[in-house]
Amino acid sequence: MAKQLITLTVNGARYETAVGPRTSLLSLLREGLELTGTKQACAEGECGACSVVLDGRLVMSCLIFAVEADGRQLTTIEGLSEGATLHPIQAAFVEHGAVQCGFCIPGMIMAASYLLDRNPNPTEEEIRHAIAGNLCRCTGYGKIIKAIAAAAGAG
Amino acid sequence: MKGTWVAGTRVTAIDAAEKTTGQTKYLQDLRLPGLLVGKVLRSPHPHARLRRVSAERARRVPGVRAVVTGADTPGIKFGIVIPDEWALAVDRVLYVGDEVAAVAAVDEEAAREALALIEVEYEPLPPVFDVEEALRPGAPRLHDDKPGNLATGFLIDRGDVDQAFRESDVLLGGTYRTQMQHQGNLEPICCMAEYAGGRLTLWGPLQSPFLARQYLLAKPLGLSEGQVRIIQTPVGGAFGGKLDEKHYLICALLALHAGRPVRLANSYAEELTTTRPRMPAILRIKSGWSKAGMLRAKQVEVLADNGAYSSLSPSILSSMAMRTDSLYRTPAARVDAKLVYTNNLPSGQMRGFGNPQATFAWESHIDEVAEALGMDPVELRLRNATEAGDVTVHGWEIASCGLKECIAKAAEGIGWKEQRANRVPNRGVGLACTIHVTSNKPFATSITGYEFDGSSALVKVEEDGQVFVATGEVDLGEGVTTTLALIAAEELGVPLAQVRVLQVDTDSVPYGLGTYASRTTFMGGHAVRLAAADAKRQLFELAADLLEANVADLEAREGRIAVRGAPERGIAVAEVARAGMSRGRPMIVGRGTYESQARMQDVTHKYGNQTLTYSFACQAVEVEVDPETGRVRVLRVVAAHDLGRAINPVGAEGQIEGGVVQAVGLALSEELQQREGRIRNPGFLDYKIPSVLDATRVESILVETIDPHGPYGAKGVAETAINPGAAAIANAVYHAVGVRVRELPLTAENVRAALGRADG
Ligand code: FES
Ligand code: FES
Repeated sequence: MAKQLITLTVNGARYETAVGPRTSLLSLLREGLELTGTKQACAEGECGACSVVLDGRLVMSCLIFAVEADGRQLTTIEGLSEGATLHPIQAAFVEHGAVQCGFCIPGMIMAASYLLDRNPNPTEEEIRHAIAGNLCRCTGYGKIIKAIAAAAGAG
Repeated sequence: MKGTWVAGTRVTAIDAAEKTTGQTKYLQDLRLPGLLVGKVLRSPHPHARLRRVSAERARRVPGVRAVVTGADTPGIKFGIVIPDEWALAVDRVLYVGDEVAAVAAVDEEAAREALALIEVEYEPLPPVFDVEEALRPGAPRLHDDKPGNLATGFLIDRGDVDQAFRESDVLLGGTYRTQMQHQGNLEPICCMAEYAGGRLTLWGPLQSPFLARQYLLAKPLGLSEGQVRIIQTPVGGAFGGKLDEKHYLICALLALHAGRPVRLANSYAEELTTTRPRMPAILRIKSGWSKAGMLRAKQVEVLADNGAYSSLSPSILSSMAMRTDSLYRTPAARVDAKLVYTNNLPSGQMRGFGNPQATFAWESHIDEVAEALGMDPVELRLRNATEAGDVTVHGWEIASCGLKECIAKAAEGIGWKEQRANRVPNRGVGLACTIHVTSNKPFATSITGYEFDGSSALVKVEEDGQVFVATGEVDLGEGVTTTLALIAAEELGVPLAQVRVLQVDTDSVPYGLGTYASRTTFMGGHAVRLAAADAKRQLFELAADLLEANVADLEAREGRIAVRGAPERGIAVAEVARAGMSRGRPMIVGRGTYESQARMQDVTHKYGNQTLTYSFACQAVEVEVDPETGRVRVLRVVAAHDLGRAINPVGAEGQIEGGVVQAVGLALSEELQQREGRIRNPGFLDYKIPSVLDATRVESILVETIDPHGPYGAKGVAETAINPGAAAIANAVYHAVGVRVRELPLTAENVRAALGRADG
């Protein structure tokens, strides 16, 4: 099927690329742009592992067609840290032992950063709500909640 | 205890930062030139004869590089204890999802098109889905050499159970049922394989690279071990599911036929419908007690649903049928266990290896017994608890045991006395205990054929003092690399930041059995400790020269080697290593092999020590039940764990918290629902693993019994964490609303139905 030329800005860098009509934003990021930090787990919009921020909205990139990102701004996990310096949320995840296998973590951190951008001092309930769409099978979530709360406190 | 200064402190995982930035390269992030996409064609029938498989048209699809069917496989059956499975179906298919053929193509589209063009003629046969029906005479037979669909079974009688029952004041029976729980690892099973230069290389997130090399690949491919190389990739969750799978073999076959590298990755629907989830079972228990609440005898009959094929299931059956017999002092025990073929999805190992099923049954039963005796469940457990020094009914030698302390602490933590005395409507507390092995020698031997359970390690000190640790053990995310690094740091007296742990490559790291049976900290830990001590000895020899001191007078601390009591007469490890470069010691390499001395006296009758040490735990929970809907909420959990010694406390807590929440899923929401052999909930929307909204507050209490055999006294913790939760929750539900649910999961629907029956 015919490919379509789109332009988009990811983590501040502009990309121009041809995508098929059914290519997901997740595939574009991972395969087309080789930004593999965003993880693919269920690919059905049910786990949150592929979460990115698209024009200020938290989305599951496996559910969105790449063509829909035409002309838009994207932030992925690669856009959080600056060089070797971890983003405060990333640092808090490390510090609080919130990372086990790590597969859910990029998506989890994107959800946390989306929350803290809007609500710098969330309650525990608000934190739970913000990551309710992000499944983690390893940690039981306790240390993740603590890490996000700590990152908020520090910010 | 000797003065450890690194091990036992709260450190951050050494690989965590990379995981937060997305730089960790999982299998799905790797590329190879010429990489093909693999796909598998699966049976739509639960039971059918394969009349014809033709791949001619599929092979002609542009972009297709290989199509393999049963006819293209080496004709070696797959399966450890019972080889009952072909790489790809040859004459019959036995479950919905059974692998029939596979393709490799340049892209997804071509692969899909080719799959659709493989012609398969099936002749449907009558299926059987229920274990009890499958055992009946006249039931459809799944495997020609297995009459009665009995994959395996065993009967064990120790002590005089009948006599003990006759002498008991209280006899109680009960039937408990457990469901099929999926591992729910977020990273689906996947791998990449390439056949080049007469060798097979496989990249993937495996639980045991060396076992995989031997029995998942070399053996069924007719290769020798050295012809296979496994390059481990970071594991995105495993929980048992990545220990044993035909997936890797199929990918290897594709690579062999295509002459190009192939990636094979499950979709999540495939993950939930074709991999090997926790084995469901029916457990019929009978127990006899004295008036004073002492256990006289225990009898259990287990019917386990094997599904279509066996893989590791015979070992799971043993563990399910026997492990809880060593939790309390059990004078006499009878076990009658059967593993039954059905046309269901083959079941397998998930965290706990049969023990969560058994623990749900036995620890629910204990509460029922307590009620029958009119005794407090905590008191009953304390009276019967196994203790250090015991040799249990199956010959397990209990070297260290903090069970009583765990019970006391968990009960105290949940506020047992007050909560039992002052009832709040629809709220309840319950608890449950568990015992688990740290490693499992008979299991290792049954897979490898070698009388070996242990591990080996190399510790290499570079010229700049950087330390590399190489073992065959892998990290599934639980953080064992951090634990092993801590041990190396501890022995060598260097800061943790100076230590790195290599990713396993079977070509270059020493032999290890990998991660299962909560064994890695214990076995890998010992091996690394020995290897680091060997490296230290070499460093000390050099340092003694440089410092003009005696080796015996030296100590290593904080990255320096110095004369004991005279820190000014010291030298940095890095300087010692660099000096070694010019003194005939380029690169210090320490070697260590640890072999478990556990000995099972009678393997045939399953009598004797399975391993050197056993872990214990007690978890107490508080729940709230909505009497209208039947919905259960777990309000909090206090988990007291005897893990010997916490080398990596943050990691240990992480294991406990994660295990507890998986047990909440097992108890309340998770079940792969099969109807006529088809999984009806193949996605996270309907297969409900706990989200943060279902998760509960967990308070971990680490009980350190300093095991005499463990490295620094440590034993396993990963699996004890999931074992007792479901029973504790069922017991708390009983306390809250007075209904005893003997079947998992306790969904709102099931609890409401039970409440309805109690009313009516
Ligand atoms: S991978 Fe997108 S939601 Fe699971
Ligand atoms: S850390 Fe493994 S899924 Fe969250």
